Formats: sequence, structure tokens, C-alpha cells
Amino acid sequence: MSGGRQIGAIVKKDIIAELRTKEMVVSMFLFVLLIMVAFHYGFGTTTDFSPFAGGLIWIAFLFTSLLGLNRSFVHEKDEGCLEGLLLSPVDRPNIFFGKMIGNFIFLTIVEIIAVPLYLVMLNLSIRGSVPMFILAIVLSNIGICVVGTLLSTISINTKMRDMLLPLIYLPISSPILICAVTSTNGIMGGVTGEKFAPVISAMKILAAYDIMFLLVAYALYDFVIGE
Amino acid sequence: MSPEVEVKNLSKVFGKRKVLDDISFELERGGFLSLFGPNGAGKTTLIKIISTLIAPSSGEVRLSGMDPTKNSAAIRAKIGLISHSPLLYLDLSAEENLHFYGAMYGVENVDARIDELLDQVELGHRRYDLVRTFSKGMTQRLAIARALLHKPSVLFLDEPHTGLDPHAVDILESLIDSIRKNHTFIMITHNIDRGISLCSKAMILYNGQIVFYQDKNELDIDKFKSIYHQRVRGDS
Repeated sequence: MSGGRQIGAIVKKDIIAELRTKEMVVSMFLFVLLIMVAFHYGFGTTTDFSPFAGGLIWIAFLFTSLLGLNRSFVHEKDEGCLEGLLLSPVDRPNIFFGKMIGNFIFLTIVEIIAVPLYLVMLNLSIRGSVPMFILAIVLSNIGICVVGTLLSTISINTKMRDMLLPLIYLPISSPILICAVTSTNGIMGGVTGEKFAPVISAMKILAAYDIMFLLVAYALYDFVIGE
Repeated sequence: MSPEVEVKNLSKVFGKRKVLDDISFELERGGFLSLFGPNGAGKTTLIKIISTLIAPSSGEVRLSGMDPTKNSAAIRAKIGLISHSPLLYLDLSAEENLHFYGAMYGVENVDARIDELLDQVELGHRRYDLVRTFSKGMTQRLAIARALLHKPSVLFLDEPHTGLDPHAVDILESLIDSIRKNHTFIMITHNIDRGISLCSKAMILYNGQIVFYQDKNELDIDKFKSIYHQRVRGDS
């Protein structure tokens, strides 16, 4: 039985359901828009945001991702669908990869719309390499979705899942936040030469973090989604 | 011939509570076990253990001679579950739900199989409609199609008649009749007449223990009813 076919079916199913309900992407986008407006008016319209541009972006994206991650297993719990999925002969890590890819796609769609709006509303620009900026966002998104999908699986079976996920997700994702802020700040500020070394280091740490948690999820998911 | 389902000295403990206590039974290929018992007796836990959803605390389970701890995926490919929860995605259409489960089970010629099943459960005309728009009976009929999609050899029926209209009950029972010879069934039910008429073996679970277990051809119906009324209904 093809693992790729199973992962693809889970991703397709999540995308079709989201296209019908639009509850995840729309709520995430409205939330990120609200944060932008709060930053814009909260700090004053004449503030130069460029020294802390990365921090502002990732505070917004990290909390936005929580909204999506909290919802990602709700469809599975509805009408016992998670039990139906677990009854099928699918390898448990394939469920993880399917859900993780779906979360990655939804978060990325929100960011594709939100980043240009951010740049316009906060009067920011990307002075460094745009491909490096995109790479930093992709690496950070992978980390957020890997950790988030793993932890939302744990929290879905608890009574206080809406509260539990932020409590366990935010501390564990703090290395992602630090590296994402460091890399995007450096790239948006257009740093070069020796000052670019911390950006490269942060992106290497992000990549290592992503790989490490992908392996952890692959090894532990059977246990995590079980009893 | 080895039994299709074999359970030996099975126990399950959740925290300090013993939900199943030293359960042993065998069910031959093509057999039909009707499982009775009050809520909390351990019936659903027993099915979940046999279907590999949860692990036993002690004891052994074999399905087609396979050990769930070593062959869980192979066992899951052989089983189907019809329960009072439909296990269907409300925001997908009937056809999309069956396509999704077809991919999960690796069903070959899935389109032809979906056509066949939707005709059998009389939902061909609603194949493109969202499950969210279905009545309870229609949803349950689609759940029957989902459970049979991969042609399982063992079917678990967990109170399958709950919430069904008489038409859906007829469809379910005619489907059971049509596949009866080639399949093994374990059905949880509170309906004595229906359970006894369908079964080849009857069992009553009470507080995680078997308090009654007999072949239908040896069934002492008075003893069965006496135990059922004492333990399940609490009659003195």
C-alpha cells in the first residue's frame, strides 16, 4: 500500500474540507490582520519598524499558527473520524505527515497574503535577498507545523485542548521563534559580510530543528496518537 | 481449522479500574458473536482491543492467527467497523468520503466498488452531496458502505441499529445476510431478539467478565434471559 497515496489523500481531504468551510484560513488571516492593525496604530504611524520587523512578523505568525493547529484535528474528532482513520491500515507516521503538510499549506497561504500587507502597513521592505527571506519563512513554517501537529495530536484527546496546546507549544517552539526572528531581521535589514553569519547560523539551526522534530514525530507518532 | 478470532485471558486496566478481566473465547470463520451487557461492561473496549485500537494490559488476541502487536496493519486491513458513530467527514460528499477511505485501505478499482456499494445502500443519487446534508439514516447507510469498502473478512457492529429508521435497518440486515457466509461478525447490541436471531454464539459481559457464553445451538434461552435481566437490567 502506497504511503504517498495515503498522505496525499489526507492532504486532499483537508484541503477540500477547508475550501468548503474556510474556517481555518479565514480565521487565521483575520487574526493576523488584526495584529497588523494593532501594531500599526499601537506603535504610532510614524514609528520606524525596521529594527524589529522580524519580531513583529513572527509574533503574529506564531500566534496565528496556533489558531490553525488547534483546529487541525477537530475535523478528525467530529463523528469519530480519527477512529476511522486509526482503524485503517495506514502507518501512523503517514497520518502525521498528511496533517503536517495540510497545516503547512494553510499557514503558508495566510503568510503569502499577510507578508505583502505587513510590508505596506508597517512601511517595511526586504533589503536583503528575497529568496533567502522565503527560505527563512519556509524553514520556520516547517518547524512550526511539525511541532504544532505533533503537540495538537497530544492535546486533542484532552478536555482542555484549547488551553493545553499553547501551554506546551509556545515553550517548545521558542527556538524556532528566536531563529526565525534572527534570520528574517537580518535579511530584511539587508546585512552583509560578517553580520550575515548569525543569519546563516539561525537558518542552519532552523533546518536542524526541523529535521530533529521530523525524526522525533516519525519515531513517536504511533505512541502519541495511540491510547 | 484455526479460529478467526481468538482471545485468551485478556485483561485491560485503565488507571486503577479493571475494564476487562480474564476474557477468553474463540469465534470460528463465518461465526457471528452477539455481545450483550450493560453500559460500562467492557464491550466496546473488547472490540477496540481486537481491532488493534488499544493494547491489552495482559493476555493474547489473534485475528486470522495474526498477533496485533506484530501485524497490526494487516489485521486492520481485514476488519470493518459499523458503529453508532458514522466515522465520516461531514464536509466531504458521500463519494469523496469513500474515495478517501479507499486510498487509506488501498482499494483497487475503487470507482467501481464505490458505485456498487452506493447502489447497495441506495445512495447513488446522493453521491455528490455533502454528508452534512444527510439524515441520520442516510449517514448510517453510508457508514455501512464505508465499512464494507475494502471487503473486510471480520465485521464489528457496535450497536449498529442505533438511530436507524426501519428502511435503514432493512438495508443493514439484507447486507449482513448477503455477506454472512464469507464473513465473521461480532455485534454489540441491546436488542435480545435481533442479537439472538443473528448469532451463532451469544455472550453477556458484566463488569469486564464473561457471565454467559454459549453456542446458539446449545443456547439455554431461559438462562440467558435470567442472567441478562439480573445483570443488565438490574432485576432481582
